[in-house]
Amino acid sequence: MTSRRAFLKSAGLAGGAVAAGGVNQVALAGLPELVTQTSAATAAPLVPDTGRPYRPVVTLNGWSLPWRMNDGVKEFHLVAEPVVREMAPGMKAHLWGYNGQSPGPTIEVVEGDRVRMFVTNRLPEHTSVHWHGQRLPNGMDGVSGLTQPSIPSGKTFVYEFVARRPGTFMYHPHADEMVQMAMGMMGTWITHPKAPHPLIDEVDRDFVFLLNAYDIDPGSYTPKIMTMLDFNLWTWNSRVFPGIDSLNVRQNDKVRLRVGNLTMTNHPIHVHGHEFVVTGTDGGPTPRAGRWPEVSIDIAVGQMRQMEFVADEEGDWALHCHKSHHTMNAMGHDVPTMIGVDHRDVARQITGLIPDYMVMGERGMADMAEMEMPLPDNTLPMMSGVGPFGSLEMGGMFSVLKVRKDQPRNDYRDPGWFKHPAGTVAYEYTGVVPEPTRARAAAPPAGAAITGGAGGAASIDIQIRKPQGHHGH
Amino acid sequence: MTAVQGSRKPAPTLPRTFPRTALAIGLAFAMAGCASVDIDRAVATSNDDAADFTQGALQLARTPEQQRDREAAADALLAQPLDQNAAVRLALQNSPQLQALLAQSWADAANGAQIGRLPNPVFDFERMRTVDELEFGRLLAFGLLDLITLPQRYGIAQRRTAQANIRLTRDVVAHVTQVRQAWVRAVAAEQSVAYARQVNDAAQASAELGRRMQAAGNFSRLERARQQAFYADAATQWASARQAVTATRAQLERLLGLTEAQAERLRLPPRLPDLPKAPMPPDRAARTASAARLDVRLAQASYEAAARAQGLTRITSLTDIELGVRHDTMFDRAEGGSTRRNGYEVSVRLPLFDDGSLRRDAIGAQTLALTHQLEATLRAAGSQLRESYGAYRTAYDVSRHYRDEVVPLRKLIAEENVLRYNGMFISVFELLADMRAQVNSVIAAIDAERNYWLADAALQAAIVGVPVAANPALPAGVAGSAGGPMLAAQGGGDAGH
Ligand SMILES: [Cu+2]
Repeated sequence: MTSRRAFLKSAGLAGGAVAAGGVNQVALAGLPELVTQTSAATAAPLVPDTGRPYRPVVTLNGWSLPWRMNDGVKEFHLVAEPVVREMAPGMKAHLWGYNGQSPGPTIEVVEGDRVRMFVTNRLPEHTSVHWHGQRLPNGMDGVSGLTQPSIPSGKTFVYEFVARRPGTFMYHPHADEMVQMAMGMMGTWITHPKAPHPLIDEVDRDFVFLLNAYDIDPGSYTPKIMTMLDFNLWTWNSRVFPGIDSLNVRQNDKVRLRVGNLTMTNHPIHVHGHEFVVTGTDGGPTPRAGRWPEVSIDIAVGQMRQMEFVADEEGDWALHCHKSHHTMNAMGHDVPTMIGVDHRDVARQITGLIPDYMVMGERGMADMAEMEMPLPDNTLPMMSGVGPFGSLEMGGMFSVLKVRKDQPRNDYRDPGWFKHPAGTVAYEYTGVVPEPTRARAAAPPAGAAITGGAGGAASIDIQIRKPQGHHGH
Repeated sequence: MTAVQGSRKPAPTLPRTFPRTALAIGLAFAMAGCASVDIDRAVATSNDDAADFTQGALQLARTPEQQRDREAAADALLAQPLDQNAAVRLALQNSPQLQALLAQSWADAANGAQIGRLPNPVFDFERMRTVDELEFGRLLAFGLLDLITLPQRYGIAQRRTAQANIRLTRDVVAHVTQVRQAWVRAVAAEQSVAYARQVNDAAQASAELGRRMQAAGNFSRLERARQQAFYADAATQWASARQAVTATRAQLERLLGLTEAQAERLRLPPRLPDLPKAPMPPDRAARTASAARLDVRLAQASYEAAARAQGLTRITSLTDIELGVRHDTMFDRAEGGSTRRNGYEVSVRLPLFDDGSLRRDAIGAQTLALTHQLEATLRAAGSQLRESYGAYRTAYDVSRHYRDEVVPLRKLIAEENVLRYNGMFISVFELLADMRAQVNSVIAAIDAERNYWLADAALQAAIVGVPVAANPALPAGVAGSAGGPMLAAQGGGDAGH
């Protein structure tokens, strides 16, 4: 954990607060220290040293915000500000976030805690914070214009409420919302139960991440904020594969995944090798009778899901969104399919004109992951990532659940690639593969249609019968 | 003069001593001999006056040896790719047009100098018989006025020769400038055609890929037709580019005066010379252009010749005096002896019907016209130079802009597009379409560079006082035949004829 603690001197914090006039020095001196994070690595869990004890979560490629106890109130200080977020090694995005990162730090409290949030706005425009899913006084809900005035640039506002119910929540702006969320402003809020809860199990590993999405033109740094649906970077905590850390667990650990969706579309999150049950939603813990096993759970827009399972199968297990284009990084959406178009000879002609040209796509897109050709600045390959057996051909919302016998308890370090026991890896069959027996169609000759390639079109003959008026009337 | 003299009748004889007359005649002959035309000296003058244009290689070939030398020099020049200077030298060595120009100039100079010669004397012989007398009359007569005005005539002749010399230099400069410009067009056309072929190749690759895409079922007919349409357009552009090569090359061949065999050997360098690091500064262009400007000198010579002719006409229009030396012999049959008599006669034309005022008016008006013509030429010279320099400077700036801004930007876009293609952000079709756009701006850059060199040639000519069309976008003579030197109409030029 490389968080940097910066103690705000009274004058340093925000000229806005001073300029507001009449703010006394006691009030300024009373602000909690401002802590920021410059690393995009997964921070170790923040074990509470004050307040009620709880078992902390681990934020994937993120961190939890330290607090201060003040007369029994848990005080946090969020600063909304421009940040530079590394989305994966080789690509940095110019985003807006909180306390040095996007998403902002995870806020962890305990059921029944009185929480005071100082929110300082260092953005060029006003903002507000909505505490998504919380029970709180209406005036603390953070909807600018409706429940409060926006927080102007340079000003600090205070939110205060009691964390009434345990669960997984989010926070995000409710002012110029589309822009500010497209720029990366969001974070997770965890309210731990204050006592053993009949519907909330103790777990060994508790992971949390947010689903978010960006549209960053290859070669540029700032998201296009006007994009509605056609995002090109599908991220977990503003990271894309191969920049998303693996989830490292000890075999037979009980694991909880908490996933919130702040994109504009749903994401079927899929875990390999295990079945999980959904133990909680935005609404709270699910009744045990209503839990059924799954290997994928669709998380709709604005929703939160808690999944739990026992990691009892050793190995490196894929964990990803099942929308296949969400496991890709930026790519052209208007590129024609080249499959089956042999153009090696034309390629020679093109190479004469464009020396750096290479043939891609006539077999599929895997060429792209293999060739590692130069890309525009600050651009990640559409699919990449090298595993022990070669290219993973993945991007976006993809990670690996690493289950190891020998992973120490509470140790979150990456154990490296799984060493498969002998005879447990798929292998090549070296015998003879007989030609398939195909059913004979009456006409035209079968087989012609699947030859493909140049000249194949003539043999593809699909008859489309169009409706012919109103016969039989 | 000769006509006037021929109509003369023998005048009364007056006593005069023979030897003094002979002396005067001898002197006249000597002076008349001075007013001769030396074409080799004229050519040497042109070589000096327009050294930047002739490279000292202007020569009128009159002997078979000279002709052979010229052919050998042309062969040597054609042995390697012809740069711009070599093209000029080849034209000077090889072009029959230039030889015709020289010969014609010789003819013009000789005609112009004719006035400086004294008309030949008339010898008149009479044989008269009376009853017993036989008389032989001998009269050697010549125009006294012609003799008296000989220094003036000589002056006029000299100026007419000078005029012919300047005209020759001017025509040579114009021809050489045309050669330079034709060379620039021909090289630029060859340079462009290579790029037009690239556009065509890119479009052809697109079309072929489109065809295969449709065959594989990946493209609709519409999409395939779009790719095919690019190719159709590119093919016509390429055909035009090839025609431009043929046309510009043919124009150059004509200006170089190549035979068919020579034309086959003609090779051009692959590209135009680079732009100079800096354009010629305006003050240098103005400084180089001086009183030595050919147009000014030509107007000056025309004016001076006319002014001197005016002085002469003032005398000759009013009167004419003929001097004759008479030597008669009479044989008297009755007495059987002979007597001789010597003497001279003078005839004077009486200005009764024609007082010569019309001729004086005409020549005076002509001189006045030439005075103004000279003034106009002087005034226009600076303006023409400024225009030529403006065209030159604009062409330089535009070409440099293409070289430093447009082409590098296009190149950058092309490189970035390859990176985008690598990332599968764009397809090979977009890559090829961008490549065509990139190549088209390279062709535009070549056009800009060509325009610069055309303007440069025009400015060189303008500096020495031969205004040539600064920057014709299309070669004027491409379709037709290359005629004589194309000179822009200008003041004072041929007014002295
Ligand atoms: Cu997804």
